[in-house]
Amino acid sequence: MAEVSVENVTKTFGATKALDSVSMDFPNGGFFALLGPSGSGKTTLLRVIAGFILADNGHIRIGGEPVERVPVERRDIGMMFQNYALFPNMTVADNVGFGLRVRKVGAAEEKRRIAEALELVQMGSLRDRKPHELSGGQRQRVALARAFVTNPRVLLLDEPLSALDKALRVDMQIELKRIQREIGITTIFVTHDQEEALTLSDKIGILRNGRMVQAGAPRDVYNAPDSVFIAEFLGDANIFSGQVEGGALRIAGGRAIRIPKGAEGANTFAIRSEDMAISLEEPTGDDTDRIRADLVQRVFAGAMATCIVEVEGRRMKIVARERDLPALPDEGPVWLSWETDRLKPVKDE
Amino acid sequence: MAKAWTRDGLRATALLSPAYLWLTAAVFLPLSAMLYYSLLSDVPFGDAEWRITLDNYRAFFETGTYAALLWKSIRLGLTVTVVCILIGFPCAYVLAKTIRGRSREALFLLIILPFWSNSLVRIFSWAIVLRGNGVLELAVNAVLPFDIRLNLMFTQTAVVIGLVHSYLPYVILTTYLALQAIDDTLIDAARSMGAGKLTILRRLILPLSLPGLLAGAVLVFVPVVGAFMEPRILGGRFGTYYGTVIEDQFVAVFNWPLGAALSFILLAVVLLILALSSPILRRAPA
Amino acid sequence: MSGKWLARAGKVWLVLILIFLYAPIVIMGAMSFNASPFYQLPFEFSLNWYAALSENDAIRTAAIRSVGIALATMVIATALGTAASLAFFRYEFRGKFILQTLLFPPIAIPWLITGTAMLIFFFGIGLGRGTPSVLVGHVALALPYVIVVVSARLATFDRTLEEAARSLGAGAWTVTRRVTLPWIMPGVVAGALFAFAVSFDQFVVSYFLSEPGDATLPVLIYTSIRKGFTPEINAVSTIIIIISMAVMLVAARFSNFGGDR
Repeated sequence: MAEVSVENVTKTFGATKALDSVSMDFPNGGFFALLGPSGSGKTTLLRVIAGFILADNGHIRIGGEPVERVPVERRDIGMMFQNYALFPNMTVADNVGFGLRVRKVGAAEEKRRIAEALELVQMGSLRDRKPHELSGGQRQRVALARAFVTNPRVLLLDEPLSALDKALRVDMQIELKRIQREIGITTIFVTHDQEEALTLSDKIGILRNGRMVQAGAPRDVYNAPDSVFIAEFLGDANIFSGQVEGGALRIAGGRAIRIPKGAEGANTFAIRSEDMAISLEEPTGDDTDRIRADLVQRVFAGAMATCIVEVEGRRMKIVARERDLPALPDEGPVWLSWETDRLKPVKDE
Repeated sequence: MAKAWTRDGLRATALLSPAYLWLTAAVFLPLSAMLYYSLLSDVPFGDAEWRITLDNYRAFFETGTYAALLWKSIRLGLTVTVVCILIGFPCAYVLAKTIRGRSREALFLLIILPFWSNSLVRIFSWAIVLRGNGVLELAVNAVLPFDIRLNLMFTQTAVVIGLVHSYLPYVILTTYLALQAIDDTLIDAARSMGAGKLTILRRLILPLSLPGLLAGAVLVFVPVVGAFMEPRILGGRFGTYYGTVIEDQFVAVFNWPLGAALSFILLAVVLLILALSSPILRRAPA
Repeated sequence: MSGKWLARAGKVWLVLILIFLYAPIVIMGAMSFNASPFYQLPFEFSLNWYAALSENDAIRTAAIRSVGIALATMVIATALGTAASLAFFRYEFRGKFILQTLLFPPIAIPWLITGTAMLIFFFGIGLGRGTPSVLVGHVALALPYVIVVVSARLATFDRTLEEAARSLGAGAWTVTRRVTLPWIMPGVVAGALFAFAVSFDQFVVSYFLSEPGDATLPVLIYTSIRKGFTPEINAVSTIIIIISMAVMLVAARFSNFGGDR
């Protein structure tokens, strides 16, 4: 177990920059998510840390030791692959024991640790099965046990839950978190599922076009996104942008919006969809700002509801609990309102 | 980081070089040596006087005998190829489109199997069947009310029969793979639009299986042009072809430089055909 | 109505082709059990020709030589070919396409050309004719087949298995031995059998490269046929064709050649 740090790592494939001077610290024992749309470089970064891809520039340290020149097999990592990559010719126990055998820990020790690991993932009873005799969830558990049984310095997970259906995925998220806490291993995982990233991790790093655009605790990143991209990528957000005139933001159509204190220099703001309210009557109150909008569609989704509205030709989304919504027509003029300090200044990118 | 790349490079080199050194020593250098030889006036061993010359190639173009034989071999190649396609295409079609399941697999294997067995022995088996007073003649005469003498042995027909027997599986193999790749729903779609059997064959199946058919044709034509063992055994005195003349230069006349020149001209013909057909071959399955 | 008729005609055609392919071989085999040395009918069963075969030293030595060369070819070509296939599978490098294309000349160029070229070259470098030359030639002819068959099997191999093994600390050799080889083994076995068959059935190249005194079996058969043959040759030919077909059947099983599964 060790901390991992990535510093100014760059990797180009032909003409495309897969990673562009990426830096991020992964302190000891934490659970970290690398998040981003497909093609953002998150998997490339994981594979650079693993050693399958060699960076053009920059430093990678595991436990303080530079590993750029250390081949995969000597980096002492544990990795779980998207398709699990269980060896089809070996039983569950042999799969889990593979790394122990390579490390020559001795037969008795090997047996004990296989049993322990399988117990931890609740697969002890299936130790003699072959991978093709297991269900998706069971394979996932075996792959996980195989990755951590050697007590690697860091556990790397490549989209570990993407092959499972939704119900199983939620179970496995809880399970994964439990096991990670129990063995206390530094864990870095790649996902394109933002909800999964927010649920599981202590810190997330969001990548876009090969660049690390924001890193931090999930709550901080969610509440204070740096840029339009992150605001819209994590959850739902609406964006206001325009010219600053006399302490107000003049948006398209000439309407003015109040700017929160301490953000006077900015001209682009993001607000969470759930931080906006929708009503038929014009709302009142000093610290709330309001704007007229056209309701386009109201989408029912169980506990939550989404309203699509248009403000001067620009679409916005309002998310609220179904039971908190007022009675609304199917479409027509409505009012949007929000507390001014919910507006967060963001970079327009 | 360059160091790690070199490690992969070293491993690839270590894994590849034994095979490719072997191929170089046993195929590529010999082919180059043959080119050199074809330019010599005599074998460069012992006391023989030799010099660089184009005489061997001149012999090919000036005497006309060798060119005529090459043309004869090319005609033989075309004949065998056409016969193989005419016999093989319907067979591949039946196999790919009307027979299903395990019996198809078994039949396919049964057709391909002789191709992978000893070609010399198979040609020899035809010698036994075709020889005068041989099995075929006895069988035909037992059925027919009058006596005929077939005497196919030592004719060009015998050579064609033997070569078709040798290379027919090639055409069936490649055509079968191409036909099998045609989605049956395409045929159903064509039928739903009112296309008849002939239209489907002409407009759909033939164009789609053409790459496979042509691949098979090339794979038959190329070795037949260079055949010498089959004409020797089955052709008798009609069995003089371009290939047998090359054989003679090496095992009877010992005019290696001439043999090398003739081989090299044959190689040029073969490479030309392969080059012309390579876009099609690349599209053919397997 | 006409569809049914066509389907039936197609099946008849298929049967006729199978008869065309197998009849001469069956007749040759049958004649090796016929007592008459001139293939005369009526057929009279006899094992004389097989008895004569077992006492024919020339054929026996040639047979042993042929099997020996085929086994050696199999071992060498399989080892070199499997190594090359692994390199093609694992590494990306410049010139890869050219190297793969270079595998086709040994398969596509008529053996007459390859054989005579080898003769010229081996004489030029002082190796001359004889069993070593034959072996060198056979391995070269078998190599592309091994590489093609093993590569086909490797194409079904999940690359992340190798990565998983490396992430667990296994070096290149352990990865190959414990993960890759077990998976491609059927392909390697099939490739080995192909190599054996290519060598055992090879006539043209052996013909140009073997010394009159140490001919391989097919070369001996060829010279005997041209001298005027006896049913002894039938007998040995029958044995050869049974062996080579058996080898290919087993190879087909392993490579899943033409199978739909």
